[in-house]
Amino acid sequence: MKVELQKGNYTANPFVFRKAVVVNKVEEAPGIYTYFLKFDGEFKILPGQFNMLYVYGLGEVPISLSNLPIFRNGYTLLEHTVRVMGAVTKAITLGLGIGSFIGIRGPYGNGWPLKDAEGRDITIVGGGIGIAPLRPIIKYVELEREKFGRMNILLGARTPRDMPYKYELDKYGAILNTKLLLSSDTPADGWVHHVGFVTDLINNIDVNIKNSVVFVCGPEVMMRVAVKKLLGRGFRKEDIYLSLERRMRCGIGVCGTCQFGHYFVCRDGPVFRYSDIEDYLWVEGI
Amino acid sequence: MDNECYLHKAKYVMLETRLLNTGLAKKVWSCSTMNTNELCGNNCNLFVGSFKDLGTVVKLLQEGLGDVRLFGYKFHKDRIEFGEMKDFDEIPTTVADIQKPGYFRISSTGYRFRHSFSSPKAFLLPPEHSILTVSQGYEIVEDGDGQMGVVFLGIKPCDRKAMSILDGILYGKSPVYTKRRDSIKAIIVEECLEPGETCFCSAVKAGPTISSGFDIAYARLYKDTLVFKYGSSLGEKILVKAGLQKAQDSHVKAYFEMVANAISMMNSRISRVEELQKALKERIGDKSFWEKVSSNCVGCGNCNYVCPTCFCTEINDIVEEGYSKRIGMWLGCLTYTYGLVAGGHFRQELYTRYRHFVLHKFLFYPKQVGDVGCVGCGRCITWCPLGVDLRDTLNLLVEGGTR
Repeated sequence: MKVELQKGNYTANPFVFRKAVVVNKVEEAPGIYTYFLKFDGEFKILPGQFNMLYVYGLGEVPISLSNLPIFRNGYTLLEHTVRVMGAVTKAITLGLGIGSFIGIRGPYGNGWPLKDAEGRDITIVGGGIGIAPLRPIIKYVELEREKFGRMNILLGARTPRDMPYKYELDKYGAILNTKLLLSSDTPADGWVHHVGFVTDLINNIDVNIKNSVVFVCGPEVMMRVAVKKLLGRGFRKEDIYLSLERRMRCGIGVCGTCQFGHYFVCRDGPVFRYSDIEDYLWVEGI
Repeated sequence: MDNECYLHKAKYVMLETRLLNTGLAKKVWSCSTMNTNELCGNNCNLFVGSFKDLGTVVKLLQEGLGDVRLFGYKFHKDRIEFGEMKDFDEIPTTVADIQKPGYFRISSTGYRFRHSFSSPKAFLLPPEHSILTVSQGYEIVEDGDGQMGVVFLGIKPCDRKAMSILDGILYGKSPVYTKRRDSIKAIIVEECLEPGETCFCSAVKAGPTISSGFDIAYARLYKDTLVFKYGSSLGEKILVKAGLQKAQDSHVKAYFEMVANAISMMNSRISRVEELQKALKERIGDKSFWEKVSSNCVGCGNCNYVCPTCFCTEINDIVEEGYSKRIGMWLGCLTYTYGLVAGGHFRQELYTRYRHFVLHKFLFYPKQVGDVGCVGCGRCITWCPLGVDLRDTLNLLVEGGTR
């Protein structure tokens, strides 16, 4: 299967959502579920972009795409991995089962720069639920393997149980020319991988640093450490990409609540080149 | 003395650099250097009239535009608000306002007021506005909010500039804003010839005069003597139709002297914007500075709500009679909720939110819309319950001192 990446557009009234049906729900880890959402019509979305998911009477949450989109027979199937945090995510995970409706609008944000990454080595650094927006990259590289160089995948979670997509991690490691490194913050029985932070694994990255890109997503503290270590290993500022999150209400740069420095994370991000945000990333509460 | 330009004389009174701030002054300057100037040869295209003539102008405008509603500043419980007017004479003309940090009173002695606590933002992006109505079955119920025609009457240059700033952020993107912005059929501006104590519009190039983006502008020279100018062909047509007389030399002279005085009074109230921006960049991570300047702030968000350019909103769902109404509501960056998420808080400490207010106006707006986001109206100072003065923060920044 060949995948075509295309950026989509939203409709005239940007707040109008589509009505989607939950067709499958997978428990990834405690409090983390992947929803398979199906709706009529074609929907273009890139890895790294996100949608606003709406629950009647409660509100919306911005959730990243967590697998490549599928479009066939006139309908679209998207995967979104949700972690229980607040009212809306709780309502989704506790209230919505297979057959339930959910509102979805998007796609928003810029997505990972996969076109620019062609011909270069790829490093992926993900922590916890931050692995979700990185997963479509892995899937895409797997399908379009010849377009990219070596791939290193660094994934970490608090405990082995908290790691999402456990059932397919072996497959990532089996992708041609790919190195998979896992870590758990705390030791556990049967865990043969690294114990410590996922950022520790940056020391073991085995790519051509001069010709590569790094995609990072996780808690902001983890991303800051990752940036420091990556720079320490000689990666260029321009080659490091981070996916940020903020309070977000509209997705289209009008509600103003996702501002990060002068950027609107929803519109100018959520993926930022480190060199574009280095003035802000280290300033608390900017 | 028709050929001799009074403005030429006035150049000794007015500093060139200050004049260039206003846009209008560019014309003034070219007049004094080129000696032949259409504006000045014609007494700067200024007309003179009374308050009654303003009524005639508004009436003609209404007749020309058809069914339009008037919006402007009017009395509201010992204050002046921005809202719908029954008639043009609702503009307060027999009182003055006294504004200081944390202080606003109406005084019956005087006849000039500066501005209202609410700005045109209250119309363009209402404090609560419907975004969507949704049924339990996740169907969208369309809102039949009818289109209307609106005339803004007597808004101040600072508020007019604030509209341009909001346009840069919201026009064509926010449905409610775009619709309401498009409904404005004409804009009449009242220039301010005597700034209030909290005003600093000229220091951020937002006033006290206006050079574009309006149909008709007027300024109150004296109690019942108004000078008018037009800013569009519609405005020109109306002024001619109203039969207004060309301003006399004495009017023009008085007008420009008052403008020059206003500018020189306000320009010294804050440091130069370029210096401020440089200092802000340097102090962005200086926690102790921001903690100090925000130490009197209580995080109520009043400054955000009265600010004519603050646009941040929250979207809430309100369930009624089987439908969920998605309502957009103003959200101030000074309030605790700003930056709060289910899993934590991106701006938990008050100083980070106070800093965002200042940085956004002076550093971030220029990158977002190409201009400083503060119009110097001073509302945030007047309506701060603690009297926190933005100008103090700005001046401390440049002085580098800590109070």
